Order: sequence, then C-alpha cells, then structure tokens
Amino acid sequence: MIVESRELRMKHRIPVTKTERFWKGLEEGKVFKTVCKCGKSYYPPRAECVCGNSTEWAEVSGEGTVECFTVVHSIPAGYEWSKPYRIVIASFGDVRVMGWSEDELKVGDRVTLYTAKDGSGVWKVWFKKV
Amino acid sequence: MKVGVVGVGCSRFGTRDVTIQELAFEAVSEALKDAEISQDEIELSVVGCVGTRGYELMPAVVVNEYCGFSGKGPIRVEAACATGSAAVYSAYSSIKAGIADIAIAIGVEKMTEVDTATSAAIGGRAGNYLWEFHFYGTTFPAYYAMHATAHMARYGTTEKQLALAAVKAHRNAAKNPKAHFQKEISVEDVLKSRMITYPLKLYDCSPISDGASAAILASEKAVKEHGFDAVWIESVGYSSDTSNMSMRENYVGLKATRMAAEMAYKGAKITDPLNSFDLATVHDCFTIAEIMAYEDLGFCKKGEGGKFIEKGESDFGGKIPVNTFGGLKAKGHPLAATGVAMVYEAVKQLRGEAGSLQVDLKHYRALTHNVGGTGHFAWVFVLGR
Repeated sequence: MIVESRELRMKHRIPVTKTERFWKGLEEGKVFKTVCKCGKSYYPPRAECVCGNSTEWAEVSGEGTVECFTVVHSIPAGYEWSKPYRIVIASFGDVRVMGWSEDELKVGDRVTLYTAKDGSGVWKVWFKKV
Repeated sequence: MKVGVVGVGCSRFGTRDVTIQELAFEAVSEALKDAEISQDEIELSVVGCVGTRGYELMPAVVVNEYCGFSGKGPIRVEAACATGSAAVYSAYSSIKAGIADIAIAIGVEKMTEVDTATSAAIGGRAGNYLWEFHFYGTTFPAYYAMHATAHMARYGTTEKQLALAAVKAHRNAAKNPKAHFQKEISVEDVLKSRMITYPLKLYDCSPISDGASAAILASEKAVKEHGFDAVWIESVGYSSDTSNMSMRENYVGLKATRMAAEMAYKGAKITDPLNSFDLATVHDCFTIAEIMAYEDLGFCKKGEGGKFIEKGESDFGGKIPVNTFGGLKAKGHPLAATGVAMVYEAVKQLRGEAGSLQVDLKHYRALTHNVGGTGHFAWVFVLGR
C-alpha cells in the first residue's frame, strides 16, 4: 500500500553577485575566467583565490581542444524542453570549459566558443567545430 | 588499537515496499544477530544517508529510533555515493580514538520514491549544481559517459569491453538472492539496450535501488572480551577531488581513487595490489567506472582496463575476482548502503560464508573501493582475517 506525501516545491534564489561579471558576460557574448597574481586561474570563475587574494577577470577566447563529450538521451527534470543534448569539455590554455554543442564532435577536435540562450532562456557557453 | 568488523547485515536491494527506517532495521537486525549482541551493547550509531530522494529529508533520527539506538548518536554522514564508507570510517575513528568500544555504521537509501527524471536531476546535482547541472544538465551517467569517451579515444577501449563488466556483474548477481537483478545478460543485450547518455546504454548503468546495510565495529579489547569473530580493518585510505568536472586534470581515471589507494596500500604495507587480495569490491556504478577502477587501484596499467576484463582477470579464477556479489551494476547501488555493503561482502568472503559465490582464500585479505560522485570522494579499505 502506498500513500502520497504532501507536495514540496523548491526553486532556489541563487546569489551570484560575486561572479556577476561572468553572468553579464554571457549576455555580451563573452566568457570570463578569473586569474590571481599567485599564478592560479579559475574556471568556473571565483572572486577570491584560495591563497586569499582577490582575483581579476580575464576573457577565455581563441581555439580550444575537446577533452571529452557525451550526448544525453535520458533527459532529467528541468530539461524537459530539450531534445537530446551534447555536453562537451574543451581545454583553453590553463582552463577547461564546459558547454553544449550542436556540432558532432570527437575527442581532440578544435573548437571555438560562443554564448547563446538555450531553449529555456538561459545564457550559456556553446562550442563550434573549427 | 586494532578495530574489527564483528557483525554485518544487508537488506535485499531493489524496489522495496518498506519505509527507510523499516529497511534500515532489516540490515541492523541481521548485523546484531550476526555479532550476537543487542542494541544495549552498542555505544555509538552512525547513520549514513544521502537522503535527497526520500520524503524524510533528515532521516538519521527516524532510522536511529526505529533501530533501537535512541540516545547513542546518531552521527549522520553524507559523502554522495561514498556515504557508506564515510559512515564506517566515522565508527572506526571513534573506536580508534578510544571514544567507543563498539559502534555501528548504518548505510540506508530509499531511491525509488520519486520518478526517474527527478532522480536523474538529483543525481546530476552530485557535482556542482550552479556551474554544471544548472547550465548543461550534467546527469550522473553523463559525467561517467564523458570519462568513457575520453578513455575510448585515448586507449581504444571499446563499448564491447565495457559491456563485459555488465555481463560479469549480472552473472554474479544471478546467484545472489539479495541482488536487485537475478538475470544473466549477454554482450549483445548490453550493446542493443537503449542509449542513456552516449556511449553508456541502459545495461552500462547501475539501477535505481532501495537498500540498507550495517556493520558493527569493535575495539581489539571488546573483541577479546566478547569473543567476537573479527575481520580486521587493516588500513583505510581516503581522498577527494574538485566538485567541478571542468577543473579535473584529465578524464581517463579518478585521481581521488589513486590517492585513496596509495594511502590504504601504504597503511597496510601493500606493494603489489594485484597479488595481495583474494577479492576486491570496486565502485562499478557504470561499466566504465569498473574499467577505470582496475587501473586506478593498480591492478593493471592505465589504459589496460579493457584488456584486463577481456582476459578474465577480474572474474572467478582470475588474478583478482572483482564484485563477486554482482557489483553496484547488478546487485544495485542504494547510495549510502553501497559502502557498508562492500564491507559486508568482504567480511562474508573472508569468513568463507559466501556460498556459491565464495572465492578461494589465500591472502585472507580483501579490498573495498567506494567512490562518491564522479571521483568527488574516494575510499579504499583493506580488510583482513
């Protein structure tokens, strides 16, 4: 025998003030990492380095290399609006960047990145095959 | 002060028609009976539960009360899919520190109370929600699938080699009445099954299961006083890695596993892991995870995991039988229950109580390897008798 629980809905309000440059950057077509004078680079970006210094914003650009990828066919809650999607991680110098791609990619392919909204209106990183 | 495992219990894994506390009690009562003691003699309880899919969001006290341990903890621990090992370690370290002489570690998980899409979205949060799942819908199979594409590209590992891990798991689980699946499958069944996230297909993935397990640990002093039949925890290794997959050095293995193994091997003075254990239980939440585990645990060189299973080295009669009870892949992977269930399996084997799944004992040593998330956490235990 089964009884149903009371419904509980959770939609969180996430503070991204410290990384606002990144979120605004996506809408301007730019992808930012942060760098510290101690030599560390961060992607995803963070406003403070683990060494304690404040980091500085720097754009990720140029060509990257595909490290790995997958195509998600079993769609999770929150992505019901999407057809199967390709997730890619590509290295751009001292950082690796995750994004989606409409192109058929394989490990080792060269890619460039751009930003665009997905089908749910969220700005994100996309990769294009060179 | 040595610490021994003196009683173990494990529920049947699968879609279970019981509440979380009822499920936990199945494992706890078996462990108490196994150790021939009552709740009165337990000084501390540790409840491992990820708890993100159940209706009890703070389940430790509910489980603790139902199992008869009110007043003796509970300490609740969470380390994603490695929660069970963290629970065992918590009990172990309390005894090591001299705080308790007898403690119980419980791992319990109810995963089947929500629908599959919700479960996939929760599992996808086992890394870093804000920077990964939020933008890119990184489900848990997707994280391992990305390792699979990297491993296949660099080392030529094939989908057929991955399938062999699933076939072995199902073959073993078919003889384990506590396993979620008791059905053998073929390589072709795996290759023809529905795509979940390329290149992982349905049969490359562990199922969504309910389950519970429990281990009673005791100090050397308590073992002598009670006359327990102990399997000793010879060493423990642990490590962790970045929450963001994009921050990893590479995608062909799990650094946390390598670090945890190094620590555990050093603690037990093991220099040749392939020839030191009678069996190993490794974290095969996906077939690629088992292939990478062979390499990261030092059973073979990096990149040779596919050939290792092809040669049957991880099967009965091979150099090191792996996941003799069916693994996470076919026995089931009720998150927090998994790490404690690995200890259960190692203890059963080392005592010679594994029935038709019994391995030959020569070293009287077993290894357990439990990963949380995609190498976000890793634990390695060396158990000996």
